Amino acid sequence: MNSLNTLNIRLRKPIFNYIKRCLSDDIKQQNDIFTAEQSRQKEAVGRIQKIEINYGGPVENELLVMNKNISTPYDCAKHLGDSICNKSVVALLNGETLWHMHKPLPDSCKIEFLHYHVSNPALVNKTFWRSCSFLLGAVVSEAFKDNVKLYLHSFPSPNVKSGSFVYDVQLELEDWKPTTSELKVLSIEMIKFCQQELPLECLDVSKDLAFEIFKKNPHKTNQIPDIAENNGDKVTLFRAGNHIDISKGPMVPNTNHMGRITVANVIKLNTDIAGGPIYRFQGVALPRSLILNHFAFGVLEDRAKLLNPARIPGTQVVDNEDNSFVASMTA
Amino acid sequence: MNQAEINKLVSQLRIRVNPRLRKFRNPLGPEERLNKLRKTVTALIKHERIELNYPRADESRMYAERLISDAIRYGDCHKSTMEMADYWIVEKQLIHKLFKVLVPRYENYTIAYTRLLKAPKPYPGEKHLKAVLELRGNPYPSLIPDTQSNRSLLHNVLLDEARKAFRAEKYKEIAAKVTANFKEGDKQRTEHDEVAEKLQEDEDKTKNTGIKAETPT
Repeated sequence: MNSLNTLNIRLRKPIFNYIKRCLSDDIKQQNDIFTAEQSRQKEAVGRIQKIEINYGGPVENELLVMNKNISTPYDCAKHLGDSICNKSVVALLNGETLWHMHKPLPDSCKIEFLHYHVSNPALVNKTFWRSCSFLLGAVVSEAFKDNVKLYLHSFPSPNVKSGSFVYDVQLELEDWKPTTSELKVLSIEMIKFCQQELPLECLDVSKDLAFEIFKKNPHKTNQIPDIAENNGDKVTLFRAGNHIDISKGPMVPNTNHMGRITVANVIKLNTDIAGGPIYRFQGVALPRSLILNHFAFGVLEDRAKLLNPARIPGTQVVDNEDNSFVASMTA
Repeated sequence: MNQAEINKLVSQLRIRVNPRLRKFRNPLGPEERLNKLRKTVTALIKHERIELNYPRADESRMYAERLISDAIRYGDCHKSTMEMADYWIVEKQLIHKLFKVLVPRYENYTIAYTRLLKAPKPYPGEKHLKAVLELRGNPYPSLIPDTQSNRSLLHNVLLDEARKAFRAEKYKEIAAKVTANFKEGDKQRTEHDEVAEKLQEDEDKTKNTGIKAETPT
C-alpha cells in the first residue's frame, strides 16, 4: 500500500515522464522516414567500387581496401583491432577533415583515428561536447510528460571552455525552476540513455526530407533553409536510439563513450521567440576514459550551474550559430 | 614522566601496516617465511620494480619501507641498522646501493618510498591477485597514464577554466573591498579636511581680527 502511494505521488506530482511504454506516433514516423532514406541511399550506391585507405597509426601504417560509399571509418577500425575500435572518437581524413565514424567514406584517403588522449585533443573535445548537447536534447525530449508541450530549439556551437554543454528548449512551463531532485532525475535519465550503448548514426538528407521529418517542430523548420544553404542544399541528421536531430557533426560513434554526466541546471532565457518560454538546459560530462575524483568533478558541476554565456537564440537575429553549422569542422 | 615517547622509538612508516602478519605456506618451518620475504626485499632493491603475487608484495613492502627508513634515520655507521641491512639484503653488494643510492634519493621524501599497484590477472590463468611493487623514483617509464601534464585534455581544460573563473571572482571581491575602503577613507578625509578648513578659517579670523585690532593702534 505504502509503495503504491509513493508511486502515485511520484506519477502525479513531478512533471517528468517516468515510464514510457510506447513511442509516440510522431517519433515513429520520423524514424520510419529516416530508416527508409538510409536504406534508399545504401541501395543507390549500385555497383561496389573499391577504395584504398591508408591508415597512419602511431606505430605502424596499414593499407586497407574498402568499399566506396559503404565502408565507414568504423569498419576500417574494426580491421585494426578492438582497442582502436573502442577508443576512437572521430576520424581525421587526409590530416584535415574530421569525419564521423559511422559515415561512409566517399573516396581513397589517408585516415587517422583521434581519441581523448592525443597530444592536442581540442577537436576531439569539441566533438565530445557537441555529442553531449545532442544527447541532452534526446533525453530532454523524452523526459517530460505528454501534457508538457516541448520543442527542441537548438544548441550553440560547442565551447568546452564555457564549462557546460547546452541545449535550448521551448517548454510550456511558466517560470519553472528545477529542484535538485528534478535535476538528478534528468541526470539519471541521461546516464540510462547512454548506458544503452546506442550508435550515433549519420545521414545527409535533402531539404524536403528534412522538412518532412521536422514538420512538427516550428523552430527546426525555420532553421532548415538557412542550414541547407550553408551546407550545399543538404541537411546532416544524426540519430541515437529514436531521437533525430540536425547537426553538422561530427559526433562520438557511440553513447558508451560517456562517463560521468550531470545535468547541472535549467535556466529560463529572456527571448522574443513566440510560442512559450525558452529554457537553457546545461550539463557537464566527461568521457569514460577520463577519470576524475569527486571533489574535482564537484567543482566542475558548480561551475556548470552558472548561466552559459553562449548566444541566446532570438527571432530578430538570423540563427547561423545554431547546431554549430557555421562553426567549421576543423575550428 | 621520564618515559620515552614510544611512537618515536621506531620510525613511522608512511604505509598501512597490517595488524596481523601473513603466515604464508612454510613447509620448512617459520624461518622460511622470513627467507621468502628477504628474497623479495632483495629483489626489490636490486630491480626497483617487480611483479609478484599481491600478498607477498604487500608483506614485503612493509619490511622494505622499514629498512629504508632506518637507513635514512641512522646512516651506515649505526651497528644495528647495518646488521638489519645485512640480514634483509641477501646479495651483499646491494647494501652499498641502499646507503649510497637509495638514502640520498629518499632523504627528503614526505611520502612512502615504495609504490604498490594491483596488476591485471592473466585469463585463463592463475586466480591469484597480482601486484607490481616498485621503488619510487625508479628509472623506468611510469605505469600509470599521465593525465596531469597535458593541459589540453578535456578535464584539464574544464578545471583550468573553473580555476580562472574562481580567480576572477576573487579578484572582483578584492576590488570591491578596496573601493569600499577607499570610499570610506575618502569620506573620512573629506571630514578631516572640513575640520582642518574650519580651523584654518578660525585661525585666519583670529589673525584678521588681530591684525584688525592692531591696525588701529
